[in-house]
Amino acid sequence: MVSFIEAQGVTLVFKPKNREHVTALKEFSLNVTKGEFVSIVGPSGCGKSTFLNVLLGLIKPDTGDLTFKGHPITGPSQERAMVFQEFGLLPWRTAAANIELGLELKGIPAAERTERSKELVKLVGLVGFESHYPHELSGGMKQRVGLARALATEPEVLLMDEPFAALDAQTRDIMQSELLGIWERTHKTVLFVTHSIEEAAYLSDRVIVMTARPGRTKEILPIQLPRPRDYEMRLTPEFNDIKAQIWNTLKDELKTSSRNGF
Amino acid sequence: MVFKNWLQEYQRPLIGFASVAAVILFWELTLTFLIPLNPFFFTKPSLIAVAFKEQVIDGALWGDLAVSSRAFLLGWSFAVILGIPIGALMGWRRRAEYTLDPFLTALYASPLVALAPLIIVVFGVGLFAKTVLVFVLSIFPFIFNTFAGVKSTDRILINVVRSFGGKEKDLYFKVIFPSTLPYIVAGARIAIGRGLVGIIVGEFYAASEGIGFAISRFGDTYRLPEMFAGIFVLMIAAVVLTEGMRKFEAVIAPWRKTGET
Repeated sequence: MVSFIEAQGVTLVFKPKNREHVTALKEFSLNVTKGEFVSIVGPSGCGKSTFLNVLLGLIKPDTGDLTFKGHPITGPSQERAMVFQEFGLLPWRTAAANIELGLELKGIPAAERTERSKELVKLVGLVGFESHYPHELSGGMKQRVGLARALATEPEVLLMDEPFAALDAQTRDIMQSELLGIWERTHKTVLFVTHSIEEAAYLSDRVIVMTARPGRTKEILPIQLPRPRDYEMRLTPEFNDIKAQIWNTLKDELKTSSRNGF
Repeated sequence: MVFKNWLQEYQRPLIGFASVAAVILFWELTLTFLIPLNPFFFTKPSLIAVAFKEQVIDGALWGDLAVSSRAFLLGWSFAVILGIPIGALMGWRRRAEYTLDPFLTALYASPLVALAPLIIVVFGVGLFAKTVLVFVLSIFPFIFNTFAGVKSTDRILINVVRSFGGKEKDLYFKVIFPSTLPYIVAGARIAIGRGLVGIIVGEFYAASEGIGFAISRFGDTYRLPEMFAGIFVLMIAAVVLTEGMRKFEAVIAPWRKTGET
């Protein structure tokens, strides 16, 4: 298998002024193949979101090699797009204008942008809400905008930083299923950070369990459930076994993490 | 039932109007029936209305109003032109903030009208001195609000734009400026009030024309109804300008929830 995304020995220390330095990632390594759906779970503060920002190119690690399609990652690129945890929508832009942000920054002409955002509005189920401002949208709707915005520039990789954490349980279930649908249609490579074992098990090809801070890979668990997956699958004993397996790997780390004050 | 709904819907303007009407009526009636009016010390609404008609509707005050407006607009515009960039610089460059902050904090907190005599000595009597006074008073809300707006720009949104390939200029135009704009307009509203104080004080101290001069002259000559007519004109100007600014805010920042200030 050819590595699509490769992280080798990534170490990152935050050095805030007048405060203790924090090692967010230590010798963290990860390989992702093209088209794969990989979730990262781990205790709070283990550096999983930080890792996404490193992959995005917003933060430079202190040491370690990061390559995307064989080229080192030196900064943000429209080949990799993030879906942000608290949506990260620009409040002064309508849903459509938010979706068009990346296209605009790329210098795509307005007519073409409108065309593209119309397609995306349909894809993520936002028809009728194009001219709404973010404060007029529900949490689920906001994240649909966030997802459409990330898909707009046709990136090869979607980085998703706890994208559904701010949503209520039902909206979350719906969004997970829709994400799976979109993923199956678009064949993006997805890196998905979450706190939810169930979410990770339901969506992923592989689940990476991280240790408590400083974060490193504790175990990589392949999820061998058939696709396409549906909600009923979550009620099967196989699914429960997988959840139990992830939980057993994770629980010691949660204890360590809570001893460290998280 | 329909009438009741109507009352409910327009409760706010109705009560507001009634309360103003009640105060005017009380003022008028007290000085007509209870206390004999000494026209040297006080006046009443009916006399003010007559004076208002003579001075404003028939036009005697318009010349003064034009003179004052010119100084106000000039001073206020310079405050916009200089205040916004200074505030933005302070918000964006920490060293600039540290350098300017002590002066600005002290000056914003002080009653700067105290500088009026000095400004008049330096710049003379007339348009220039008044413009300077308006400028000095109204620049601070622009500086501070722009500064606060830039500072409170959401870091996440900066990262969002950077992650989609935004350059430094995109950060300014697509995040920092739109997020600061409502702060600037709120500052403009405060600056209007302070600028009006500047104009009036300037004209009280030394001037031969202008609405402040007119008010002060009427006061000195015990023409109280005319004086109140002048004050009334000022009140109208202040309300129109600040409310206009509030409407403008709603137009340029439709994303802000209504009721937020």
